[in-house]
Amino acid sequence: MELSVDPPPEKPAKKPAAKAGPAWLIPGAVAPIERADPYLDIEDYDPEADLMVLNLGPQHPSTHGVFRVKLYLDGEIIVKAVPFAGYLHRGVEKLCEKLAFTQITPIVDKNDYVSPMMNEQAINLAFEALLGAEVPRRARYLRTLVAELQRIGSHLLWLGTFALDLGGALGGGSTVFLHCFRERELILDLFEALTGCRFHYNTHTVGGNRHDIPEGWASLVKQALAVIESRLPEYEELMTDNSIFVKRTRGVGVVDGELCLELGITGPMARAAGVDYDMRRDAPYHAYDEVEVRVQTETAGDCQARTLVRIREISESIRIVRALIDGVPEGPICGHKPIKIVLQERSAGGQAYAALESPRGELGTWVIGGGVNKGTSPYRLKIRPPSLHAAACLPYVLPGHSVSDAIVILGSVDPIMGEVDR
Amino acid sequence: MEDDRAFTHPLYDFMARMPGLDVATTSVDKLLTWGASNALWIFPMATSCCGIEFMAAAASRVDLDRMGTIVRGTPRQSDVMVVAGTITVKMAPRVKKLWDQMPEPKWCLAMGSCAISGDFYRDIYSVVPGIDTFLPVDVYVPGCPPNPEELMHGLLRLQEKIRAFRAGKPRGAAERPPTPEHMRRPSLPRLDDPTRPDELSLLQTQSAGSLGHGTEMNLIELRRSKAGEALAAKLAALRAPAAPAEPAEKKE
Repeated sequence: MELSVDPPPEKPAKKPAAKAGPAWLIPGAVAPIERADPYLDIEDYDPEADLMVLNLGPQHPSTHGVFRVKLYLDGEIIVKAVPFAGYLHRGVEKLCEKLAFTQITPIVDKNDYVSPMMNEQAINLAFEALLGAEVPRRARYLRTLVAELQRIGSHLLWLGTFALDLGGALGGGSTVFLHCFRERELILDLFEALTGCRFHYNTHTVGGNRHDIPEGWASLVKQALAVIESRLPEYEELMTDNSIFVKRTRGVGVVDGELCLELGITGPMARAAGVDYDMRRDAPYHAYDEVEVRVQTETAGDCQARTLVRIREISESIRIVRALIDGVPEGPICGHKPIKIVLQERSAGGQAYAALESPRGELGTWVIGGGVNKGTSPYRLKIRPPSLHAAACLPYVLPGHSVSDAIVILGSVDPIMGEVDR
Repeated sequence: MEDDRAFTHPLYDFMARMPGLDVATTSVDKLLTWGASNALWIFPMATSCCGIEFMAAAASRVDLDRMGTIVRGTPRQSDVMVVAGTITVKMAPRVKKLWDQMPEPKWCLAMGSCAISGDFYRDIYSVVPGIDTFLPVDVYVPGCPPNPEELMHGLLRLQEKIRAFRAGKPRGAAERPPTPEHMRRPSLPRLDDPTRPDELSLLQTQSAGSLGHGTEMNLIELRRSKAGEALAAKLAALRAPAAPAEPAEKKE
């Protein structure tokens, strides 16, 4: 198959993130919360109160990276929260403007470093839309498989670190952490068998994948999934039957659906608040139109609901992988000529947007073609990170909670700073 | 004299002051070295991807704890700072502040390409090109990110380094242990080195994208190819005349 660049192909119409209105909210979703004023003037607050300023971060074991929140405290209750970002700003978008399309994939791997596969897929979906490259069916299946496996790995890592944030409530704190990492290693082993790397894979390219499925990989996947599935109920019990866990998470950090729509929050956070939206079902890409995706939703919108949604998404991902693993079609894994030759032949113009459902929400890429060196690189690249929008809820939600609750809320929001700052 | 000592303890100071007790201080020093090298408490300065791999190293499968290392959340209780991830200009003063809070003796381990040299973010306006621009690094663990086993190897080398250096010699607070002969930094010139040949950058650029799809990043393939061999020969020729330049002049 060859690339057809002239004229630029029709861009896939992007579905709105979620229309404001009850149609997207499931019945019984949490009512709009009383939001705190993020621009509260501290001078206007009670002048007799003895306020204390606490800097949470940028180096703190439970800020999940280098996130900093400035907390104004009245006693132990937060009055105002000011988040600061930029401690991991690496200029990725600017860096990509100098590079050819194929050289960008390993760069964006490092954005959301908990789910590198998703970054690669998001950026290559946009490039494929821009260059008009067609992806073979086998590659689309493989991408769906690795995306779901990556979702399992990412949620497992989140679960482990969230349990660490909750401290000693869960059997010494690190029990769940150690259990989750034990299972995450199984996923990383599968990726290592597929691509040769544990972490940053560089396995996707424009128009397909670089590494074909090795022999016997399907049985390895099935074995790993069987192990993970057998241990999932254990985690669910550890997290939900534990009275300390329930007390610390139920009703804490409620984010309602309306706030999600206003701030552009997607993914498990929005689904926990009753926003019934998932790109995999509502705007299918890869091979998701050939498999049933059961969107997991909750109504409470608090930290417990987010935990439940993520744990259920693990079992849902296991189901999707099982449904696809035996039906992977034969054929080429990468359907076009070497991309360098194509880029030498013609330069790409136009622009494209593509998005997918990463473990944290809608991860989108907007790209304008026709950059330096005869158009072999993007003129401009913009990444829409789900974590940035999720972290934007903190100044609305944190005030009114105590400092220990702030750690729990920060953990349940799950911001990845590589993605927020880029 | 006492200020020069890395380990401070009342008994140790007393013995150092007494004439004729040099042998005892040497023995105590050996004991303290043995203790310090086998109980490295780690302060993870984890900013990005390498932090996740560090967590994997501390978790179930690799389990750093069995080497006597414990991960601490505070610099005041730690011996080793593991800088895992990209350090930006905004973050660097905080890293320095945390390093200054750690008690002596302390060691620094740079984990991953970003901490070592800035990796491909090196030329970006907001990224520090390697933490050795402001921290005394003892061990470099290359990789992007390094596997947990590689981090473990780096920690074992650090233990070796501590043991090799101490051997009864007191050291100043600012002095770092010298690097043993077999643990030299790679001879590859640094990116800002003016003597760095352009071909090196060319080699790195060509390794991505020149060999057709499927093997773009396969450096082994590149080295086997004729173009790679020619480049390697050229590099060897460029490096070779640097050493015997001076003796040649003397002969004349």
